[in-house]
Amino acid sequence: MSIMDHNGGSVIAMAGKDCVAIASDLRLGAGAQTIAMNFEKVFPVTDRLYMGLPGLATDVITLREKFRYLTNMFHIKESRPLQPSTFAHLLSSTLYERRFGPYFCEPVLAGLELTPSGTYQPYIAGTDLIGCLNFAKDFIVAGTASDKLFGVAEGLWEPDLGPEDLFETISQTLLNSVDRDAYSGWGAIVHVITADKVVTRTLKGRMD
Amino acid sequence: MDHFPTNWGRPNYNTFDAHATYPLHVHPQPSSSADGVQHTQQPIVTGTSVLALKYKDGIMLAADNLASYGSLARFKGVQRLQAVGDYTIIGASGDMADFQYLQYILDNLIISEEINPQDGHKLGPSEVHEYLSQLLYARRSRMNPLWNSVLVGGFRDGQRFLAYVDLLGTTYKASTLATGYGAYIAQPLLRKAVEGKEDTLTEDEARKIMEDCLRVLFYRDARSINQYQIATISAAGASISGSLKLETSWGFAEGIRGYGGQTQ
Amino acid sequence: MPDMSVLAGPQQHQFNPYAENGGTILAIAGADFTVVAGDTRQSEGYSIQTRYAPKVFRLTDRAVLAVNGFAADGNMFVKKVKQRLEWYRHAHAKDMPLRAIARLIQTMLYAQRFFPYYVYNILGGIEEDGSGAVYSFDPVGSYEREACRAAGAAQSLVQPFLDNQIYFKNQTAAPGQSHPTHLPLSDVLSIVIDSFTSATERHIEVGDGLEIYIVLAKGRSLQGVEGLRGLREMSSREDGERVFVLQRELKKD
Repeated sequence: MSIMDHNGGSVIAMAGKDCVAIASDLRLGAGAQTIAMNFEKVFPVTDRLYMGLPGLATDVITLREKFRYLTNMFHIKESRPLQPSTFAHLLSSTLYERRFGPYFCEPVLAGLELTPSGTYQPYIAGTDLIGCLNFAKDFIVAGTASDKLFGVAEGLWEPDLGPEDLFETISQTLLNSVDRDAYSGWGAIVHVITADKVVTRTLKGRMD
Repeated sequence: MDHFPTNWGRPNYNTFDAHATYPLHVHPQPSSSADGVQHTQQPIVTGTSVLALKYKDGIMLAADNLASYGSLARFKGVQRLQAVGDYTIIGASGDMADFQYLQYILDNLIISEEINPQDGHKLGPSEVHEYLSQLLYARRSRMNPLWNSVLVGGFRDGQRFLAYVDLLGTTYKASTLATGYGAYIAQPLLRKAVEGKEDTLTEDEARKIMEDCLRVLFYRDARSINQYQIATISAAGASISGSLKLETSWGFAEGIRGYGGQTQ
Repeated sequence: MPDMSVLAGPQQHQFNPYAENGGTILAIAGADFTVVAGDTRQSEGYSIQTRYAPKVFRLTDRAVLAVNGFAADGNMFVKKVKQRLEWYRHAHAKDMPLRAIARLIQTMLYAQRFFPYYVYNILGGIEEDGSGAVYSFDPVGSYEREACRAAGAAQSLVQPFLDNQIYFKNQTAAPGQSHPTHLPLSDVLSIVIDSFTSATERHIEVGDGLEIYIVLAKGRSLQGVEGLRGLREMSSREDGERVFVLQRELKKD
């Protein structure tokens, strides 16, 4: 079994109309044994940008703290908002610094990008564990249930979903995928990001 | 001279059958756990790709004339295309000894099913392919495979037939087929040239496509040679050409380091 | 010179009698019908061997078998099942009932327990009571009757989608209402086609063509199949269970 699968967990991000959503399961395991059911894998980066970090739990925490530091340094030095596309490249280059001894995480980003006209545009991205960026128009999946998430998301997702419909779509996709994955599940957390607010909901899931 | 056959390099069956309970010709096989029979093998003298396509009048097959011994071009005049009965041509890549055994089996099949009965029933390409499939699958199931990939082309009752079978017993049909390196190098070229045009391609056009593919294979497959044969099977029957020579041009190599020409 | 020393002693290299030929199969049972589908791509590694190699086969007017895994084993297994069904027909002057075919398949698979057919089987059809049924098997014969099942290369992509759309998993019915236990045929066909287009999009071993077998219970109206483009009837008689096949294109890249 891969070191990437040791702690289990999955993350998915989806783009909607003027909104994005990102969600993760809550399981933390050690191989087949479940250790905790409150291990969130999605973290705020800015008010309009969230990052999901499925993978090896120790690296999840390391990277969360590393990017908290890097984000704070950006704000101090630059005195301007950190845009998702900027952060994506910070993420990519930070991971590639460890090209031959990587962090065992596959980050997922979901946020709203400020356009020159002053509006916000959905932005989702993912990388592999060494920082190869993947910009998708529809959805990004990662973690031990990624194959299931690909299948369900490809079947359920459609363009231009509003915040409520997007919440329903990402929630159904995640729950049904993790129910077929032994290493993910035990509840989920979903963040729906719109220009004026972020709505966070915790979902009950199967506990078996 | 030892005139006792069981002593000719085989374990003395007294080891297994002290009281001679078995007749001589059915004495028990030594178990595979000891230094017994090893079925598992690898191809030794091999033929490379075979190509085939459907065209307007029937099926065309092509293969070069080389049988390699590892990287040695060992036998340069080997025929890898063979007619089976009146309606079928097969082409084989892989182990040439196994292919010759297949030819022997098929020759005997034609004798026992067509020549001896004289009942007018002939074996068509689908029967030959089914027979080969069952034979190769049975051999793989005994863990003693015949190490070949075989293309079966045929024409009977106005119907074209083209199918593949290999050492695992895997079979499939398509309008273009290629074995070995041909599956990677020639198959994309064949598909582009043939798919959708199976009913309009003339024999001359098909021959041109085959020659182009064989040429590309000769340039890039180190186990190939520039002598080849092309076979057709159509309403006119089966015909296998003599050994032909590929026209090649090496002008492009002039400026490329490593192809010769330069001394440094 | 090739290294001949390997020929002297026992071989290091072991002949592998199996291959994995990709593709995906799927079956869904309705109240009085069953749908069994499979894509038609056959591949090995990154090579497409052919764009049309059927994986779904009509066994009788009320039974359809889908096989997925090692194609040579699959074809041989279908051949042997058909042979056993023919013997049954000659001995009993009727077709074998579906549940009996299911048990036959389990016996035939388990008979090869120590050199298995590397094949995942899904049997679909109509039971003697007229209900739609799906039986799914593992390569050595463990089997179970279910309402729906996906198997093969894209099983992990399709099965959770089916859990959601067929079993309504993780969905709560409106107050005072309940989810239907069986979906109408037209809904099932839409879900099957969506499943395969999704799998084709995200799995390289799935694509080229889709073959959908539809088995209707005796006396059932043709509602849901009438007017379908390119529908072919496969059944031998019109007054019993009826089998139809529907073909659709899938992306070829």
